[in-house]
Amino acid sequence: MPDKLADLRTIKFLLHEVLQLEELLQYPYYEDHSRETLDMAADTAYQLAHEVFWPSYQDFDREGAAFDGQKVTVPKAMHGIWKQCAEGGWIGPNVSYDEGGQQFPITIHALACFLFNCGNTAAAMYLGLTYGAAHLIKTFGSQELQDLYMAKLFAGQYAGTMVLTEPDTGTSVGDMTTTATQSPDGGYYLLRGNKRFISGGDHDLTENIIHAVLARTEGAPAGIKGLSLFIVPKYRVNPDGSIGEPNDVTTTGIEHKMGLKGSATASLSFGEKGDCRAWLVGELNHGLRYMFELMNMARVFTGMQAVGVASAAYHCALDYARTRVQGRDITSKDPLEPQIAIIEHPDVRLMLLKQRAVVEGCLGLFLYCARVHDQERVVTDPEEQQRLHMLLETLTPCCKAYGSDAAFESIRLAIQCHGGSGYSEEYPVAQMLRDCKVFSIYEGANGIQALDLLGRKVPMKGGMAVQAIMAEIGKTVAEAKELAPIKDLAEKIENLQNEVIRATMHLGMKGLSGEVHLFVCNATAYLEMFSQLAISWQLLMQAVTAQKALDAGSDEVNFYRGKIETARCYAGYNVPHALATAQMLTADERTALDFKPEWF
Amino acid sequence: MKVAVLVKRVPDTASELRVADDGKSVVTAGLKFVMSPYDEHAVELAIQLKESHGADVVVLSAGPPDVREIIRSALAMGADSGILVDTGQAGELTCRGAARLLAAALKELGADIILAGKQAVDDDAAQVPERVAELLGIPHASVITRFELGGSAATIDREVEGGQYTLELPLPALFTTQKGINTPRYPTLPNIMKAKKKEIREIPAAQLGVAADDLLGQVVTESMTLPRQQRLCRVIEGDSPERVRELVRVLHAEEKVL
Ligand SMILES: Cc1cc2nc3c(=O)[nH]c(=O)nc-3n(C[C@H](O)[C@H](O)[C@H](O)COP(=O)(O)OP(=O)(O)OC[C@H]3O[C@@H](n4cnc5c(N)ncnc54)[C@H](O)[C@@H]3O)c2cc1C
Repeated sequence: MPDKLADLRTIKFLLHEVLQLEELLQYPYYEDHSRETLDMAADTAYQLAHEVFWPSYQDFDREGAAFDGQKVTVPKAMHGIWKQCAEGGWIGPNVSYDEGGQQFPITIHALACFLFNCGNTAAAMYLGLTYGAAHLIKTFGSQELQDLYMAKLFAGQYAGTMVLTEPDTGTSVGDMTTTATQSPDGGYYLLRGNKRFISGGDHDLTENIIHAVLARTEGAPAGIKGLSLFIVPKYRVNPDGSIGEPNDVTTTGIEHKMGLKGSATASLSFGEKGDCRAWLVGELNHGLRYMFELMNMARVFTGMQAVGVASAAYHCALDYARTRVQGRDITSKDPLEPQIAIIEHPDVRLMLLKQRAVVEGCLGLFLYCARVHDQERVVTDPEEQQRLHMLLETLTPCCKAYGSDAAFESIRLAIQCHGGSGYSEEYPVAQMLRDCKVFSIYEGANGIQALDLLGRKVPMKGGMAVQAIMAEIGKTVAEAKELAPIKDLAEKIENLQNEVIRATMHLGMKGLSGEVHLFVCNATAYLEMFSQLAISWQLLMQAVTAQKALDAGSDEVNFYRGKIETARCYAGYNVPHALATAQMLTADERTALDFKPEWF
Repeated sequence: MKVAVLVKRVPDTASELRVADDGKSVVTAGLKFVMSPYDEHAVELAIQLKESHGADVVVLSAGPPDVREIIRSALAMGADSGILVDTGQAGELTCRGAARLLAAALKELGADIILAGKQAVDDDAAQVPERVAELLGIPHASVITRFELGGSAATIDREVEGGQYTLELPLPALFTTQKGINTPRYPTLPNIMKAKKKEIREIPAAQLGVAADDLLGQVVTESMTLPRQQRLCRVIEGDSPERVRELVRVLHAEEKVL
């Protein structure tokens, strides 16, 4: 077993040296914080990940969540994890003092999320969903809803869920059929319908579960414009805060899944007896907008979940490669010479390096997004706020889709480093691959993320969002070109940037000229190419920081050289691939369009 | 009632140690430092005494200003205040030096109960707390696995080879904690924020009247090496007598353990 699942020195490097998190502390919202509080929170999250989350990782898979026809139970260790996190304030670290949080930067919250997912991703789900439901109530709910639920959710007395998917409606949320009818006295709504795949939909972790449900009211417009958001408790809560009657929410089953088995994924039936009470959040028909407001960060967090698992897998592989002795150097002629650790074989080293580049590049991108979000929260200039918002909007689908796909590929390499042992459930990497797969599916399948990037974010405000990112990349490239040892790397990335811009303009013209299908038919390839540029850029930013530290005479030579060469490796293997994609896109590759379904 | 806890800042045993080019010291750049794990049990015990008996918990550490970091961690666990005996950048304290400084600070503080970890995980010396008790002229019990307060005395269990002692010590007294005694709590985020506002009093070492010769210099490090880390497995083949002969030869001639 590895001695760590993430590298704390790298985390501190990203927080303080690359992202300059301390600059945030000049704003009144963060005035109580200091480098010390940020570090202590990061260190504690790291400790919890290793000592509280990780020990039961494999048990979660073997034990799983269970449903006996009446009750859903979570893996035994989940109770202790929940208690520790709830008491520690880890459900909503970034929310304000008034709301029961400690006003930590979102960057620290995001980091904690990453670390908990390194330790035990199924366990971390329960926290994230509870935060999600509480956040919706906090941002859009009435005072009454806030008083009843918010503090209890942030404190972990109740747990929360996000309820969109139905048996027949996944991606196409606008087609959902769950209905809400106003009660005769107008005080609440009566909900009726079936939902499926609801993470944390039922369990024995908390005394109540608060569902944030999308449903359609009678006479609402068709499609997504007719969806409203409701709060539906498992048990009704009396005005004095005590638990009341069951609220006619029935669990009809839980999924038997490929991975993430400790997370209970429930099918729920609302209103079988016609008495499921639901309370409207905000205004009618604004439900999806509210959900999306939360979804941006939730999508970054989904990428983070995936890369958390990949980080754990990478450290398992690194540990294994250092201790597994097999074969000799390719030039060795003596069969009696002692065998070498497999990390000595260049092919194994390359597999490790590719994993490391994905983990450090993606983590860099996620924390960068969280940092942008923090900045957005404190700046007052509306133009700057809009610029930051566009950066975030555009990078979000990359975080979610590239993060989850690259993490899956990275874990595949972790298994490969283990040889046959990696395929055996005795080692945790096989489970990690299974656990990781779902991140490319939920929170909007990756294909949908690609459509979001190319179809919505690229044309946004006349292409301004992409320009904003390109300007940021340009800044890093310019800075890197000033540093002789990494000038070549900067030029390589600059070249890719130019080709990505060219391909984007080419596709944009297709979109404008009405060739919509051609415009988006390679959206997934576009997202991958765009993300490879984004990750190259993030790693270049890390390399710039590292080179400057070396130039200033730091004696952490191995650490900083490692950062620079990781950036070089990622660009070395990914830039040519991204360039080929750009070429494919400008050549109007259209097989996918022309191939008729009946030819299969 | 006042409970004082002595804590030491040590390199995290999970981090990779490297020996510096001088061959006599550890590279500290990039190294993560933590509170010595046995000390965490002492802090936990003190906080439990605060919860059960309303004790005032003061955490002390002697060293360069950086040790403030681990005093702060103890405050985030729930201790009330801290004292940093600041030795500046004078270099590694010896056990004798650290004990004299801490004893001087404690004399001024006047604690009823003094707690510390049974040893620090960096040098494993297990000397400072016992020396402190001797300097203060109070009784001490080391390696305790149970602590019970009764009036002006404490009953404790001590781990000894093959069994345990149960002892009663009159207070004030000093105790060093062993692992099984409790499970140290993690700092909560609210407590991390509270810790920031708690006082850490600084006492410059020079003010404590301990001679410079007593602080440093009684120990000279000649060289430092990391343990050899190669896990090689070798199967010795052949029939039994031949295998035994070969094994003895390997242990004697190659591994040099016989
Ligand atoms: C473990 C797990 C946990 C989940 N947790 C939750 C939860 O907590 N709450 C919740 O509401 N839901 C949850 N889900 C449901 C999840 O969000 C959906 O599975 C997901 O949105 C995809 O919907 P679907 O399964 O119906 O697939 P479909 O929508 O049928 O999609 C199948 C494939 O077709 C593609 N596709 C579909 N429509 C289009 C289109 N218009 N254009 C291009 N391609 C398209 C998709 O990209 C996908 O590859 C969870 C699912 C799982 C597996």
